[in-house]
Amino acid sequence: MVKTKEEQKEYFQELLNPELGALFRTALRMTRNREDAEDLVQETITKAFAAFDRFEEGTNFRAWIFRILTNTFINNYYRVRDRQKLPSLDEMEEESFFQPIAEGISPEEALLNTLTKDDILKAIEDLPVEFRTVVVLVLVEGFSYKEAAEILDIPIGTVMSRLWRGRRLLQKSLWEYSTRKNDSERKNQEGWTAKKS
Amino acid sequence: MDCKEVLEKLYLYLDHEILTERERQQIEEHLKWCFKCCQMYELEKNLENLIRINGRNDEVPPSLFFRIENVIARF
Repeated sequence: MVKTKEEQKEYFQELLNPELGALFRTALRMTRNREDAEDLVQETITKAFAAFDRFEEGTNFRAWIFRILTNTFINNYYRVRDRQKLPSLDEMEEESFFQPIAEGISPEEALLNTLTKDDILKAIEDLPVEFRTVVVLVLVEGFSYKEAAEILDIPIGTVMSRLWRGRRLLQKSLWEYSTRKNDSERKNQEGWTAKKS
Repeated sequence: MDCKEVLEKLYLYLDHEILTERERQQIEEHLKWCFKCCQMYELEKNLENLIRINGRNDEVPPSLFFRIENVIARF
């Protein structure tokens, strides 16, 4: 049964509304700028509706619209100057984020006690775009490897390797923020103690 | 399964991807008795929760809702 234009619009909105939060969040992580994120979401929705007659009812709308979002981002918002040199796999395998148990401090304690929401978001947004995309799609938005591969039009193996590397980089950043905070906190305490005496 | 193999597959285990049921069971068994790997697992799991919870913590601004409504009205 063919839908009228009004019915199409209603159906589109029904499918779209639950995804708005995720679309905006993802746009924000990718563009790193609220205005651009809003523009990106609006553009995505406009394109999605224009292509909606090609969407097969009952299939994965979420993945479908996220694909439009990421394509629009890559085509219109990803500037050449944003391109960062990707750390080589060799460089990353040598670094071990996990401090050995022998040091006595649980890595968990050091990390979790000092990290704020802003730290986490900054660490995600500092990732090179290729890693950031898979981290956001899989770890934040919960897409499967297969869905992420379809959205980004890359092999599953590439999703896995970018995810692995993205996670390692994230840990490295978060570890650095956390130790920097611990250091400055300790320095403040020492300074205060020195003033007292 | 030894520690090396468990750590290699840890992300797949966390993400519920690729591994067979048997492999998952082997990893679970290993994590029950291996303190070091269990600690790694806990750290990764907590980190992932932090990423997911904080990553999802952005409200859609009212201005955007308004813009979208206008866009759809004009379709």
